[in-house]
Amino acid sequence: MKRLSRLARLVGELVALIAIYQVGCEIALWLNLPIPGGVIGLALLLLIFACGIIKPTTLQTGAGLLLAEMLLFFIPPLMSLLDYGTLMRNEGWRIMLVIGCSTLMVMLVTAFTVELVCRMRDRSPVDGA
Amino acid sequence: MKFEPMPIFWLLVTVVAYISSRWLYRRTGRYLLSPLILVPTVLLAIAAPMHTAYAEYSANTHWLMLVLGPVTVAFAVPIWQQRALLARHWPALLIGILAGSAASIASSFGLSKVLALDTSVVMSLVPRSITTPFAMPLAHDLGGVPELTAVFVMCTGVFGAALGGVLLKWLPLRTALARGALFGVGAHGAGVSRAREVGGEEGSVAGLVMVLTGLLNLFAAPLLVWLL
Repeated sequence: MKRLSRLARLVGELVALIAIYQVGCEIALWLNLPIPGGVIGLALLLLIFACGIIKPTTLQTGAGLLLAEMLLFFIPPLMSLLDYGTLMRNEGWRIMLVIGCSTLMVMLVTAFTVELVCRMRDRSPVDGA
Repeated sequence: MKFEPMPIFWLLVTVVAYISSRWLYRRTGRYLLSPLILVPTVLLAIAAPMHTAYAEYSANTHWLMLVLGPVTVAFAVPIWQQRALLARHWPALLIGILAGSAASIASSFGLSKVLALDTSVVMSLVPRSITTPFAMPLAHDLGGVPELTAVFVMCTGVFGAALGGVLLKWLPLRTALARGALFGVGAHGAGVSRAREVGGEEGSVAGLVMVLTGLLNLFAAPLLVWLL
């Protein structure tokens, strides 16, 4: 019985998240916004939390499940490789080169920028420390 | 004669492969058995000899992709829980994300132009440093192929998580903020789980930064469309 009520609760949380997503999509459609419905839904949910209408812990199980099993939803688009065999054979190594070099650049730039800003803030007298 | 599988065949295989891979990965901890690598490999190994087209595969699995919408909404929970971190460090994180994203877009675009890749491939590569639920709509806006972007995002995550581990050993980074941001901007989801192994604070920073990077890039989409 307890397991059943826990399951019902999980389903309820998931339905709530899907509903917020749907509302987000509707808003995007009405206002002709170029922003995806999911992002509007995210903003909506943050607003709901900020107003204290729902506590984040109320949705924790459902949101946690979606985020933990996120990889499952990433897999289907990967199968588009079935249609891009020729592309990968011809341009695959160049694409991998771009991804490799660019990832290295991104990591170096991000890490050093954040580190620099942190150290500057630490040294500034405003923060005291 | 062509093998005609049941309509839900691919959905079943995908879910079963995912669950077993997740179980194997948790038990062994081997990176090659993680669902993001093992499942597509297994699925491609089954589908390619059968000459399955992507349309056939996605006929019954496309709704799994629809869940990416509610997943985006679910990101509100960790953002809200990390709001103290954000309030304290937003200048450093924001500047880092902007610099990192600019580096990502410029280097992806520049390098692919130098290597003379197709325009649709270039536009699919540009969003590769952000997490899939944000990268796919952005690729669509830019005129790329969202599915290809998902493939490049995965390659970035798998490679970036490994590269980030190496970089941490060599770079003189004193703050957990910089170590976390490196993973969050550079290697999104796969990077976040790697950052969690480095430390709790690194993990939270990486998770927060990953979502913010996705959001900022999406909001910058009109600018990027005009620019590229």
